[in-house]
Amino acid sequence: MANTQTALKEAMTSIEGCLGAALVDYTSGMALGTVGGGNDLDLTVAAAGNTDVVRAKVRTMEQLGLQDAIEDILITLGSQYHLIRLLKSRGSQGLFLYLALDKNRANLAMARHQLRRIEAGLEV
Amino acid sequence: MNTPRKAGARTGRAPGLTELAAERASGALLCDAGTVYLQGGQVVHAESPVSPGIEVLLTAGGRLTADSWREAMGRAGPAGGVGRFLVDSGRLSGAELEICHLGALFDAAYFALGHGSGPRGFQRGAAHWLGPVRPVGAAAVERETRRRGELLAALWPYPRVDTEPVVARRPDGRAPAVTPRQRAVLALADGVRTPARIARELGRPAFHTLIDIRRLAAAGHIATPRSTGPAAPPSPRPGVPGHPALPARSGARPPLPPGRGPTAAGFTDPDIDLLRRLRDALEATL
Repeated sequence: MANTQTALKEAMTSIEGCLGAALVDYTSGMALGTVGGGNDLDLTVAAAGNTDVVRAKVRTMEQLGLQDAIEDILITLGSQYHLIRLLKSRGSQGLFLYLALDKNRANLAMARHQLRRIEAGLEV
Repeated sequence: MNTPRKAGARTGRAPGLTELAAERASGALLCDAGTVYLQGGQVVHAESPVSPGIEVLLTAGGRLTADSWREAMGRAGPAGGVGRFLVDSGRLSGAELEICHLGALFDAAYFALGHGSGPRGFQRGAAHWLGPVRPVGAAAVERETRRRGELLAALWPYPRVDTEPVVARRPDGRAPAVTPRQRAVLALADGVRTPARIARELGRPAFHTLIDIRRLAAAGHIATPRSTGPAAPPSPRPGVPGHPALPARSGARPPLPPGRGPTAAGFTDPDIDLLRRLRDALEATL
């Protein structure tokens, strides 16, 4: 049984190249917890901004009539990967995990795998 | 229902949150629209009549039955350790409790500390029955409260939709589609229920419901009450610097003087239609 902060710390240590991670409430855009980040990467700003990314994709899927759910969203920058994983919440609150990875050090397949494990540990 | 008695340690001038955090105070800060609980200067919980409590969020979402909630309250409530009990007895995971707790805390704090709600007194030593779950710095709570106010103002700058009964209307064909979450809100928009009541019935945080309400109003699915202008630029107020959030109680913003406000009914308000067209045009260029 993990609390949110230990789950995020685990993401930070177990995922190679992880620069920062946040657990974000999708509706309000508030970060419920963050690890890493820093001056180069303000995770609370990233949390709020990336809710718009998720919302835009959800809306697009509805317009397309796709009856499916988003598992994750990958954004590839020149030097970083940003990975958004939507949590299948038992409660009514929509949450996602947000991860910033160093592109040179990260293994995307491994990162995705670890993220699934961390989600299971959160038990939300 | 859980507000501590207002007698006792009330002083002439009510201290603000920043002040109490600086002196590492413990107790209940009673505000016009809610109560903020502090322990050692950190915010440990908050409650507001406007926002559903953590018990509503947990039971309405189906995570706990009303019975198991009552049992937890009965066994751990008097000692002020309901949160700990729920986790130790295996009813909730630590993460679940934390997430729900933070959701309820920031939701209530938004109303208790927001625009139109000032501190009324501080009851030193008062503690909440939930017990410590995850304390949050006072600065973080104030920052988030401010951010939330700005977010609502950016979505649709008409704070009166937050407090008035919600009236559904038929939008024109170009209105954005409604999400499943918003559909649930619209289904309860009967012209009688207020956003706070809709939030409670859906078991969702009140602020989250306000986001849906403002988006729906901006899209034309919900009527924007008449005689209400766009929110005035935020006026500096002691304790709540530059906070443009909603008034927590209805009537906090005086109606526009006659002859200056929109004269048509809310949904044909030329002002609102103009804003809507402007927003559509701006979005099209993004």
